[in-house]
Amino acid sequence: MYKIRIHGRGGQGAKKAAKMIGMAAFKMGKQVQDFALYGAERRGAPVMSFVRIGDSPILERGYVDDPDAVLVLDRTLLDLVNVADGLDAKGVLIVNSEHEITIDTPATVKHVDATSIALETIGKPIFNTTMLGALAKLTDIISIDALDWAIEEELSHYPKELVRANKDAVRKCYEVAK
Amino acid sequence: MKQTLVTGNEAAAWSARLVRPDYIPTFPITPQTECIETLARWISDGEMPGTYFDRMESEHSVMSAAVGAAAVGARVFTATSSQGLLLMHEVLYIAAGMRLPIVMATISRGLSAPVTLWSDHNDFLDQRDSGWIMLHAENNQEVLDMILQAYRIAEDPRVLLPVMVNMDGYVLSFTDEPITIPSHEMVDEFLPAYTPHHTIAKGRPVTVGPPVLDEYTFFRSQNHVAARNALDVLEEVMDDFDRIFGRRYHMVDEFMLEDAELVLVTQGSMSTTAKAAIMEMREEEGIKVGLLRLRVIRPWPARAIAAALKNANAVAVIDRNLAPGRGGIMYPEIVETLYHLDRRPLISSFVVGLGGNPQTELKVKEITRKLIDDFEAGRPGVEWNDMNDNELEGL
Repeated sequence: MYKIRIHGRGGQGAKKAAKMIGMAAFKMGKQVQDFALYGAERRGAPVMSFVRIGDSPILERGYVDDPDAVLVLDRTLLDLVNVADGLDAKGVLIVNSEHEITIDTPATVKHVDATSIALETIGKPIFNTTMLGALAKLTDIISIDALDWAIEEELSHYPKELVRANKDAVRKCYEVAK
Repeated sequence: MKQTLVTGNEAAAWSARLVRPDYIPTFPITPQTECIETLARWISDGEMPGTYFDRMESEHSVMSAAVGAAAVGARVFTATSSQGLLLMHEVLYIAAGMRLPIVMATISRGLSAPVTLWSDHNDFLDQRDSGWIMLHAENNQEVLDMILQAYRIAEDPRVLLPVMVNMDGYVLSFTDEPITIPSHEMVDEFLPAYTPHHTIAKGRPVTVGPPVLDEYTFFRSQNHVAARNALDVLEEVMDDFDRIFGRRYHMVDEFMLEDAELVLVTQGSMSTTAKAAIMEMREEEGIKVGLLRLRVIRPWPARAIAAALKNANAVAVIDRNLAPGRGGIMYPEIVETLYHLDRRPLISSFVVGLGGNPQTELKVKEITRKLIDDFEAGRPGVEWNDMNDNELEGL
């Protein structure tokens, strides 16, 4: 089983990002489970969401405390939340940041400037979808084509231009992530 | 039929859509809101022709409106949680006493005070003696399947009782899982259009729910008979469900019980993690442990439970609820059910997972080890819970 934890702030779309990862993996024929953990949600408060992906039905439930990959949508969370909690040397931590991140963890730490990519491509700081390009590139757990499909499904009630811009942002993030 | 990724709330909404209800009175409450939002969206998009949606001003009014609509022969669906279910409490008895086949999804959330948004079963089990038939699902597929089955049971002339179908808040309500959503045609075959009995109709005035004084005991005993009939009806409904949809359910869910010396008795979504833990304990430690999941809480399937547990040496009843001053609510029910067996297992009580306290595989293993200790000591444990040590004192 592959486990992903997403850290964001209320309003940044951590829940939606988990759903899109789930949809993409589901499209690829995997068993999946995705959910968000929240209390009294409010804009700006630290929130988390989770995805489990496997080849057989998923029996584990609840909070993911031993993730294989962690996505951090907002680097200001690094001072507030132990985002690397439970990551081991095989794990990867991907932070939305314009500069390199130093954090005490055995995992591989990557950064990608998803906010700038989103501003250039979508014209708005919609970095929850954008960051998924980095996840696809750096983990192989979901393909970029499956992500395209997931974005179209999940954003089907939005204008076509916005859906295309989101897909473009994901692809651009996929290209630059390393 | 297609596999789709949906939350528990959406699964409940899907089953409500598939049964073509006449009326859905609602009031929003976390963690149920997404269920009625989904239905409201479908209705406004024209996806549910013939269904009338109402937003009431409280849950007491929701259940009162449900009673009124069911009394004139409408097929009714609604959903609620926690404090909302408690606010309905008075009217729940009326719905059962008037023999109205209302179906309601309840999405378990712990009760105030203090406030929690996360799941335990005190809200659901608080309705235990209301006369409703009470079913509890383990996963999102079962949520959908149980609600479809609930209508068949509720509307059967041998039963005519309201049914609530429970799922755990968050762990199911807000979790996406792949499930199979059946076609309208299959559901229509399984659940024909509702033919109401004994309803109020134009030109045929009848009185429902009047004061009866002398006959009160008769009507109450009829409630009891109808609820017991539901066990037989449920067997038929599960057979039919399997024939049409190809998914087999049983009165109780038995997991690895054939050779089990130790049995964990569980309810709801915690059963999934417990099953995973059981497979690991069997494989890694050779412990012969199995699981019995309670799916039907009312009527109480005593015979099925006793049959499933008759070979166990020790049983752990894991309650995700607390009756302060008493302990777990289901523990005494299981003890009573097994009391009359020729050979009784040792039965320990465990209270866990209040207000969303996580149900991990690790915790299940801890419970199993404690059960083994209890068995070796020859003394059932009645004080174990997953609160911290300070809180444990004095329980």
